[in-house]
Amino acid sequence: MGTPPGAAGSGAVPPTRPAQAELPELRIELTPTTVVSTALATMDFTPVHHDPAAARAQGAPEIFLNILTTMGLVERYVTDWAGPRARIRGIDVRLGVPAYAGDTLVLRGTVTARDGGEVTVAVHGAVSIGDHATGTVRLTMPG
Amino acid sequence: MTTVEPAVHRRLAELAERRIELGETRGLPAADPVNLPMIRHWAEAMGDTNPAYTDEEFAAAGPHGEIVAPPAMIQVWTMPGRGGGRPAPTPIDDVLAALDEAGFTGVVATDCRQTYHRYLRLGERPVPGTRLSGMTGPKTTALGLGYFVTWVITWYVADEPVAEMMFRVLKFRPPERGPAAAARDPYPLRPAVGRDTAFFWEGVRQGELRIQKCAGCGTLRHPPGPVCPSCRSTERAHVVASGRGEVFSYVVHHAPPVPGLATPFVVAVVQLPEGVRIVGNVVECEPAKVEIGMPVRVTFREMDDEFVLPVWSPAES
Amino acid sequence: MYSLSGRTAIAGIGATEFSKDSGRSELRLAADAVFAALDDAGVAPAEVDGLVTFTQDANDEIAVARETGIGELTFFSRVPYGGGAACGTVLQAAMAVATGAASTVVCYRAFNERSGSRFGRPSTGLGAEPSSLGAEMSWHVPHGLVTPAAWVAMVARRYMHAYGATSEDFGRVAVAMRRHAATNPAAWFHGRPITLEEHQRSRWIVEPLHLLDCCQESDGAVALVVTSAERARDLRHRPAVVTGAVQGSGAGQMMMTGFYRGDMTGLPEMGVVARGLWEMSGLAPADVQTAILYDHFTPFVLLQLEELGFCARGEARDLVAGGGIELDGGLPVNPHGGQLGEAYIHGMNGIAEAVRQIRGTAANQVTGVHNVLVTAGTGVPTSALVLSTP
Repeated sequence: MGTPPGAAGSGAVPPTRPAQAELPELRIELTPTTVVSTALATMDFTPVHHDPAAARAQGAPEIFLNILTTMGLVERYVTDWAGPRARIRGIDVRLGVPAYAGDTLVLRGTVTARDGGEVTVAVHGAVSIGDHATGTVRLTMPG
Repeated sequence: MTTVEPAVHRRLAELAERRIELGETRGLPAADPVNLPMIRHWAEAMGDTNPAYTDEEFAAAGPHGEIVAPPAMIQVWTMPGRGGGRPAPTPIDDVLAALDEAGFTGVVATDCRQTYHRYLRLGERPVPGTRLSGMTGPKTTALGLGYFVTWVITWYVADEPVAEMMFRVLKFRPPERGPAAAARDPYPLRPAVGRDTAFFWEGVRQGELRIQKCAGCGTLRHPPGPVCPSCRSTERAHVVASGRGEVFSYVVHHAPPVPGLATPFVVAVVQLPEGVRIVGNVVECEPAKVEIGMPVRVTFREMDDEFVLPVWSPAES
Repeated sequence: MYSLSGRTAIAGIGATEFSKDSGRSELRLAADAVFAALDDAGVAPAEVDGLVTFTQDANDEIAVARETGIGELTFFSRVPYGGGAACGTVLQAAMAVATGAASTVVCYRAFNERSGSRFGRPSTGLGAEPSSLGAEMSWHVPHGLVTPAAWVAMVARRYMHAYGATSEDFGRVAVAMRRHAATNPAAWFHGRPITLEEHQRSRWIVEPLHLLDCCQESDGAVALVVTSAERARDLRHRPAVVTGAVQGSGAGQMMMTGFYRGDMTGLPEMGVVARGLWEMSGLAPADVQTAILYDHFTPFVLLQLEELGFCARGEARDLVAGGGIELDGGLPVNPHGGQLGEAYIHGMNGIAEAVRQIRGTAANQVTGVHNVLVTAGTGVPTSALVLSTP
């Protein structure tokens, strides 16, 4: 088992609720191993997520992340910051350009609303060719 | 083709209407109950070290009092997998098939919205219920003419809804293809596509003419480059051009022969209203009728089975 | 302020015959031209300590040195951007001599451009090269904009639109060059002038360019010996003193595809060169008795006359139509017939002609020559010289 994606850049889980409005940036190198292992871990066997020839036959230059993984990485990005006691209530993502193997997914987040423990984080996941995923994550953080 | 025949549209709309009225159709329960091995496998692949999912000791003392599944795994539990079994039919299937038949063969997911009412616990076995919630169109999009199809999956444990997902796709007619969809000879005049230019060619594939925009100072630039010469920013964004332009200069190529193109052909420098110039072929116009100042509009032409090129055709002024 | 002007001179010129099929290797051509230039100057190979050529030349400096018996080198360098390098080789050599990096430098260019690799062929592979040039060309190659004629034609069309120039205005340049070549025995088109009607009837290459707007393709080589003005005085011939030598690249410059800047009716890089040249030489257009203007395609001769200040913008066609560039005109251009008439040796044969005009030994000798202007490839980063009598 290799290093999980982005492990080096994720930093320590903060023990208490952070006060800052900006989440630390997370860069995930989208190696073929990352793309394939996440596709299979989400039970998605569509060939374009693991077979480069199948991806090219569809006009894609490379295999690319599946949507279930995009949702998973967005969730992970926010809980890395919010800590294991937070509860994710919902993730709302607008999907953009594909995230191809060989690219880097850069996740950035900003707290846009905070009402007691109810927090809304705007998340932006970009790859070199544009916006891959843009949206919000709603969560409850312990008081 | 830029419109949908009224009869085709009516047939699609009526089918969608009937499927919406059908309401929710339950599918098969998750093949495996929520379990620690699949959770750990998922968490490792995602690089998610959250102890709420895998650390029994933490979980016992944590907010859930036990191990829970990552909420974003909700769809994973009911994925069809490789078992070969046919997934249970849903009200969406017919609608997508009818769109394929009508030529809307392209598909791209546009939105995914998940709501988690509660976290799943080990041993639970969610059942999906799927309903079509809407179909809108035809709409002209950057990818081509298409319909947006929206459906909602609700996952139940016993009869308790535990999570919902709204999912929307665009079904579109891909940019015009030659009469035969058979594999064509590869177009020999390929660009080098690299880190600094991939966004442009990706846009072209999606039917967008993209102009690099500096995320620092907003300067538009074509051809694009890795650094903004105005402010040194390396943060690059883009805008989608209106697609309108005007011939700034042009040539008619006669000789020597150029592989992949039939002579004579016209190449123009097109001035865009956005303020940049771009080079492209002028098509659907006799070479003798091309002139400087002529209004043109971008279209996207498949040069082979993989490569799409923006080209320009005469437009009303 | 220190100036390079007047410190060095071209003391020797040499060339092979100009042909369509040299029948020998490019390295052999280079060696033949270098020997000819050294013999012309009266300099032994062992005295040469510097070599300069084009980035595009296939013959390494060390290979040329080996073949010609030039021993140790203390200076070797190359100049990029195709024919834009021509006068730049002399600038490099002059700087080396003036700074003491070398004492005697030979500049050379040798190719089988007609029988070997022809530049007029579509450069379809250029777009795929993983280089900045490949990235540049990627905006043009996919659309079939792949030949030098097409790149020049794009600017020419805009120039015509802006100033009302016509294909006949371009044709008059071709007719003049062929007329000059007709009386130059070394020219490929010796004895073969053309008429404006023949120009107009010649087939389209890339509209608005006819076949006869495009220069010929040639096999051949030219070499030049550059040394200090002082030493040159003691050699065989009257030195051609380098009073001006400059390179120039414009803002937003590209390799022949400057479609994204300005009004596309000029050659900004030649404007840079013009400013530098007049400043370094202390001369003005009126001080030049004949000019060697790079003529791979006729339209850019008009644009150069304007950029260099021989006439106002848009007025070059009047200057040409009035006979201004003929041998008996106000500014005889390319008395040897240029690349349209003599040979296409990437501009190096034009420098040799400038030296002959200074010496008074040219086939079509202009009278009373004191200063000759020479330019290099246009549409690319370029270079120019003013050569003068001592």
